[in-house]
Formats: sequence, C-alpha cells, structure tokens
Amino acid sequence: MKSTNYSEKVLEHFKNPRNVGTLDGSNVASGRVGNPTCGDIMEMYIEVKDDIIKDIRFQTFGCGSAVATSSMTTEMVKGLSLDQALKITRKDVANELDGLPPIKMHCSNLAADALHEAIRNYRAGNYNKEASGTTEIKPQTNVIKGEIDYIGKGVSYQVKNYANYKDQRVLVLFKGDMSIEIALELTKHTGRVILLTLEKEIKSDSDLRKKLLRSDVKLLYEAKLLEILGEGDVEKVEILDLDEEEKYELFVDAVIIPELLTIPSTTECSDDVPL
Amino acid sequence: MSEKIEKIKKNEKEEKRNDIYLDYQSSKPVDPRVIDAMIPIFSVNYGNPSSLHGIGDQATELLEKNREIIGKFINTEPNEILFTSSATESINLGILGYALRNKRNGNHIIISEVEHISLHNIAKYLEKNGFRVSKVPVDQYGRVKINKIKSRITDQTILISVQMANNEIGTIQPIKEIGEIAAENNIPFHTDAVAAQGQIPIDVKKNNISLLTLSSNDIYGPKGVGVLYLKKGIRVQPQIIGGGQERGFRSSTENMSGIVGMGKAVEIAQQEMDTESKRLIGFREKIIKEIIEGIPQTYLNGHPKHRLPNNSHFRFEAIEGESILLSFKDLGIAVSTGSACSSKTLEPSHTLIATGLLHEEAHGSLEITTGRFTTQKDIERMIEVTPGIVKRLRDLSPLYKEKPEN
Repeated sequence: MKSTNYSEKVLEHFKNPRNVGTLDGSNVASGRVGNPTCGDIMEMYIEVKDDIIKDIRFQTFGCGSAVATSSMTTEMVKGLSLDQALKITRKDVANELDGLPPIKMHCSNLAADALHEAIRNYRAGNYNKEASGTTEIKPQTNVIKGEIDYIGKGVSYQVKNYANYKDQRVLVLFKGDMSIEIALELTKHTGRVILLTLEKEIKSDSDLRKKLLRSDVKLLYEAKLLEILGEGDVEKVEILDLDEEEKYELFVDAVIIPELLTIPSTTECSDDVPL
Repeated sequence: MSEKIEKIKKNEKEEKRNDIYLDYQSSKPVDPRVIDAMIPIFSVNYGNPSSLHGIGDQATELLEKNREIIGKFINTEPNEILFTSSATESINLGILGYALRNKRNGNHIIISEVEHISLHNIAKYLEKNGFRVSKVPVDQYGRVKINKIKSRITDQTILISVQMANNEIGTIQPIKEIGEIAAENNIPFHTDAVAAQGQIPIDVKKNNISLLTLSSNDIYGPKGVGVLYLKKGIRVQPQIIGGGQERGFRSSTENMSGIVGMGKAVEIAQQEMDTESKRLIGFREKIIKEIIEGIPQTYLNGHPKHRLPNNSHFRFEAIEGESILLSFKDLGIAVSTGSACSSKTLEPSHTLIATGLLHEEAHGSLEITTGRFTTQKDIERMIEVTPGIVKRLRDLSPLYKEKPEN
C-alpha cells in the first residue's frame, strides 16, 4: 500500500484541520512529542475546568496523517474528562479516521501521546509550561573524538581568516558569545553556518541574540557533537540528539571549537559533559 | 444521492482538465511521434532479429539502425551499445557485472554519495560480497569534490562510478575532470546519464567514459528499455543468461518495439535539445527567482549554475514535504519531495543529507521538474499557488518562527 493511500476522512482533516493553534491562560497545559525517524512533531494544548477539557488546540509539523490524527484527536476529546481522555489510544484515533496506511500507523499517529502528555503535565501542575531553559549555559568542553586528528584539516579553535570559509559548510560549537560572534561573521562568507548547543535555547544579551535569530545561522539545540569524521579532512560529524537520544550524521567541511586559551594538550577522548 | 455523484463526476472532469504535471523526473509521457514509430513493430515488422528469414532480417536491420542512432547520440560506435530492459538493469550489468568479472584485479569501487538509490543498493550488495565501496562526499550544492576522488583511489580500485547529473537536485557533475582522473589511473569510469540525457550533450570519447547508462522513458521513449554503453575491451559478467543476444552480455529476445521507440526518442531529442533546453532554463530561472524571493526562509537545493535545465528544488523551513505534495495534489498539480514521510523506507533523501542538510530540513523539500509538454501557464499556476500552500502549513507548524524585525 502506498504511504499516501489515505482515507477520505484523513484527507478532509488534512485540508480542514480543526482546533489549530496554541492556548494561553492559567488552566492551560501542553504536551509535545516527536518521532525522530519520521520527523513528525506534535504539540497539544488543553484548557481544563472542573477536570473537563474545555478547549484544545494543536500544532503539527509532519505529513498528512500527522496533521489529520492531531485534528481528529482534538475533536474526539473536547468536553471529555481527563480520565476519559487518557483512555483514548492511537488506535482509537486511527479507527475514527477510517484507518491509516500501515506504514503511518506508528510514526504519524502520535497525537494521542501528545494529549496524554499534556494531561500528565496538567496533573503535575505544570501549567503553561515554558521551555525549561532557565538554567545556566553548559557548553560542551570535552575533547571530541577525532578533534585532534583534524586540527588544520578542518578543525580550528579560532578564525584567523574568515574568507577561507567561503562557501563551506561550517559547524560552530556553542561556547558563549564568542561562538555567536564567529557564527554571525561567517554568514558573510558562506550560506551554511550551524551553531550547535547542548541547551534548549541560546542565552546571550538581547542584542546579540536578536542578531542571531535574524541571521541565516542554523541553530541546532539539544545536540552534542560526538565525533569528527573524514578521509584526510573533515567530511562529516556524528551528532547526538539529546532529546531523542538518537545519533545521526551531518556532512560539513569545517568544525570550529572556539577557544580563548590553549589548544587541548591531551589526545584522550572523554564523553563526559561537565555539568 | 445521484446529484452528489454528478457533482463528483463534474469535479473530476474539471480537475483532469486542469491537471498540471511537474514531475518529469519520475516519469515522462511518450512523445506521440515515438508512438507512431513503434506501431508497425507490433504487427508489420514483428520479426525476431535472430531469425534468418526475410522478416527476421528486417528486424536485424532495424535493431542495428537504432544501435547506430544511439551510438551517435553519445559519440561512439554502434557495436559498443547494449540494449537492456531498463536503466536499473544497465547499472546492474555495468557495476555488478563489471565488479564480478574483474574482481581478480581488485576489490575496490568508488562511487559518490549522491548516486541514484539503485546504485547505492548495488554498492551495499557488493559490500556484502567481499568488495569495498568508497563514497565520495559532495559540496553543499551536491557537486563531487575531485580531490576527494583522487585521495580514495588505491591499487585495488577497479571502477569509478559518478552520475552525470543528479536525479533529485539536478546538479551537473564535473564529468570531464572525473574522466581525466580515471584515465590517468587507468580505471574504467561508469556514469549514470539518465537524469542528464536529452538535456545536456553527452560525449563518451571526450570525457573518457568507459561505461554509461541510458534510459528510454527519460527521453520520452517507452518504459522497459535501457542502454549500457560498454567501451571496446571492457568486459562484464552477464546477469541474464540465455540465447546469447547482445554479444552474449545480455540474453533475451530484443524488445524491438521498445528499441525502435527509444531510437526515435533519441533522434527527436538530438534535434530539439538546444532549443528545448533554453526554453526549460527560462522556466527554471523564473520558478527559482519567484519562489526564493516570494517566500521567506526558503532555500534552493542544488547548484545555482551547474544545474539541469528542467530542475528546481527547494527547501522550506519548518514544513514537511508530504504535506506540501498533498496540498499541490489537491489543486491538481503533480510535484515531488525528498521527505522521508513520502518514501517507502521512511528515510529522508540521501542526496539532500549528503549536501549537508539535517533530517528536519530534508523533510521540507519540493522538487519541480518540467519537460516537453510543460507550458508557461503551468509554471505561472505553480508559482501562484505555492506561497499559500507554504503559509498554511507553516501556520500549522510548531517549528516555524518568523525572524524578528530589525
């Protein structure tokens, strides 16, 4: 069966999704789930009064069935009690949509999970949950596997001549404002600059942060650089997605690990993230 | 009830009339002139080239005439052209057949990261069978880095295979330079010319190409025919054993209607390529300019200049390709995407990943390929509806953030 062999109901919900958006207020909680393989991300917002879901909204990044299942879930649970809503399963949502292509049953049918998370968050008292990025910045400081081998072959600690990076794909490790400044300067010379940070968001003074958000720098949050790879020169890196605990490869030409003081003198690799 | 059915039928009719096809990369209509050339083969010139009677001789003559047409198309001799059933079969015979036949000379093969999936899967098969395959990385535009080929060559290397142009993002590879390196090192060079054929000139002599794959449908011929160019002296192990047709390299009674169709398709392409490519470049430049300028946080995949005339390929931040495709489908417009959600394996396009995109970025891609029957009106319609589709999906997306104002 084709992966896009959708029922009329799925297509109808994809075209006219119900309850799109976000909610605000004192009785609102949200849940967010994502599937790393397929890449769908769903967010559900519920407003609760007397243990009843009074209002519900969603936002979804994903394929047709991801949008349709989100929309259908919101329709199914509006007005239900939290206990009733917790009983709604992925399968119930799929059935209500007259079925999903088998290949989409798992990856694009996470709306019920997002709803359950929102309910759990509500019950845990996490109203209006904000991104919990208020802790201090914890830059990655360990020596990265492969780092020493590629010094001068794509790995550098400072940028002496930005023009050398013309049209290169450059990965910059976040180590504070210095990294942001380097990344911003690089965008004048190349279209592909990626700033990688362990954090959920990048903290900096508001001017620099605004500049960064306005720029073409691609921000990679909750990501840890595991290894630098390539035959001769840097060709790619391996990254760990801390949220999904999934490793993946990213093709780059250069890695900048901004360093003010000294070049690491050890060749020992450590996977520790100092907290 | 019947009123409803009537309404649906009416809608269907209207949709059909308005259908716009912008996925020439995946399949092309057969040119009516090709169909005309094929018809007599089914009932008049139906002979088998292996037969020794008159009608068999006619078939032989037709077969050899078309071999000559295709030889000329890539600047080589007719006796170096083998007919197969598809480009995939040609690649199997060219890569797998060559590796198995020549394994005494070495067990190492070099390909690029952005080859067609069929070639990547053949490489996997070879790896399981004792061969070592090196993949050459590409730059952010999808172009193979020449020095990266050089550094991967060893005394065990028996074959280099790099496509002429990419089937997804349309990037044209530096074929001449690759051919030179291959020749300097005395290593045969195979190129998959399926995406490029009929759009840019092909010259196997000038580019030191030893093996080359063509497909009939990709040049407006019928499906079910492919060609493998095999330079004199190059030997491959047959993958189909039988009556010894095609010099024993590829047995099976020749698909004469298909071969005649492909020959006609090649003739037409040769005559019309210059003007047609100019026309398609006009479309391409218009599409790219309007989409990139008209929609924020939109990026071009592939090379801005070294690019097939018919290919435009975009990445929209924070939205997903299958959703884009479904939205176009709803408007009667056929497009393609490299998103995982629309693939059989749920893996994003390996080509987009090789250019340095993250998975979530590869998800948001849109591929537009135009062709012989694309009109200015089709292009304008596509350009007109795209911003609305992107905006609607971004409004649904939790990932889309507008850039802060100055």
